[in-house]
Amino acid sequence: MRIDEVELGDELPEERPDVSLETVRRFVKAAQMDFPRFTDHDAARAEGLPGAVIPGIMSQGQLAAMIHRWAPGSSILKIDTVFRTPMIVGTPVVCRGAVTGVNDDDTVEIDLTILSEESGATGVLGTAHVRLADS
Amino acid sequence: MILDLHTHSIRSDDGRAKVDNYCQWIKRKDLPIDGFVLTEHRQFDGDSDYRALEDQYGLLILKASEVETDYGHVLVFGVNDDLLHALDFGRIDHPIGDVLAAAKRCGAYAAPCHPARKNVGLFSHYERKGAVDGVETVEVYNGGSIPGEDELSVEHAARYGYRTIGGSDSHIVSRIGLCATEFTDPIETIDGLVAALQAGRHEARTWRT
Amino acid sequence: MADVDIRAERERWVGTVFQEIELTVDPDRMLEWAVTAGETDPRFVDPTHPDFQASTAFPTHVNAARILPDDFPDFGTRGIDGGKSVEWHRPMRAGQTLRATVAIGDLYEKTGRSGTMVFIVNRMTFFDEQDRLVCIVDWRMIRSV
Repeated sequence: MRIDEVELGDELPEERPDVSLETVRRFVKAAQMDFPRFTDHDAARAEGLPGAVIPGIMSQGQLAAMIHRWAPGSSILKIDTVFRTPMIVGTPVVCRGAVTGVNDDDTVEIDLTILSEESGATGVLGTAHVRLADS
Repeated sequence: MILDLHTHSIRSDDGRAKVDNYCQWIKRKDLPIDGFVLTEHRQFDGDSDYRALEDQYGLLILKASEVETDYGHVLVFGVNDDLLHALDFGRIDHPIGDVLAAAKRCGAYAAPCHPARKNVGLFSHYERKGAVDGVETVEVYNGGSIPGEDELSVEHAARYGYRTIGGSDSHIVSRIGLCATEFTDPIETIDGLVAALQAGRHEARTWRT
Repeated sequence: MADVDIRAERERWVGTVFQEIELTVDPDRMLEWAVTAGETDPRFVDPTHPDFQASTAFPTHVNAARILPDDFPDFGTRGIDGGKSVEWHRPMRAGQTLRATVAIGDLYEKTGRSGTMVFIVNRMTFFDEQDRLVCIVDWRMIRSV
């Protein structure tokens, strides 16, 4: 993906990342945040959550992975995500991205969202500033 | 003429959109809006000058504010020196009556936004505290509403006889223009917008699916 | 909380570095993180790749012993993760020993669906062995009051 191949308004291919309980358990161990609110639905409900929630930083990692697949070899200079609504472990989500800026310094800006496929609620909103590989 | 009356730029703490990118997005996506109003949180941006962008993209870009009150958030259009002197925009606990009265006294126009939203919407306070005098217009279509919120706003606005506006409440570029307000008359300035809101010659529009 | 003047506290605290930590980047955790977050780019999931490095969000998990200064105002303990940003300046490599400073990046209050909230931005700035800037992580912690 080169800068001259990208246009403002382009949409990244949608992705449906693995948010199964098994994968979330592996992630939280690697992230050293192995808390029941991420891995145990009953324990999470006892904390007032609707169920075990996908860690926000895992969602951020999934969005970054989507960008890297769209533009192999690219470098994310900055990623900023806001966690708006808890996304529930095991409930399908969809990651989306759209190019909202193509800059003179050969970088692009991307809007990012993660939606619950079940409720349509926006779980994560964000932006990324990306330098493409061949720039 | 259609304007998105509720947007945020990087001047807001949670805004991630550059105004230039809003303009490019509107044109690229051929959105059916003729301009937008920047309603930064708890402040009025008196410094930024978007006239060059207006000329470049053929869009109207106006500036207003979203202030926080004991009855939720309120959009204030037509902010001027008198109003800046009368209200501390950074506060989060204004009595709503003070905001409505100050706006009226200073020639501005105040309209509560996302009124059905829990805690920060006008109607969510009506059940416990009763209705507020002086409200004329509310934002019934908001791009950040969760399912059911806008429908409730429309229902309550009709019950209280309020006029309606719409705005995307966009914080990132790709959300602009999801909701907006259609005006009967052309608008060229913030004073023109205030006059149109006072006259009530408008209706809320939504393109959310 | 009712007596706390947030704007005055903001003046006092923003920019204050209150802790410094050292950490070694664990290649196994780096790899597992990337794989479970769905990365497929060999720079992040192939330890034999010549440019093997930490994936984009990896440094967000680093927690210092103290997330706030000792004498920071008490805004309650009920916290929500409001979001994180990572700004990269150079790659983070397996086995590196990094130094990180922890500071208050911002402090402000606002109202939202959950009521009145205080936002505390915890900023971690990572440096490599040559004291070059690696990345900056901002963590927006929300305290409901």
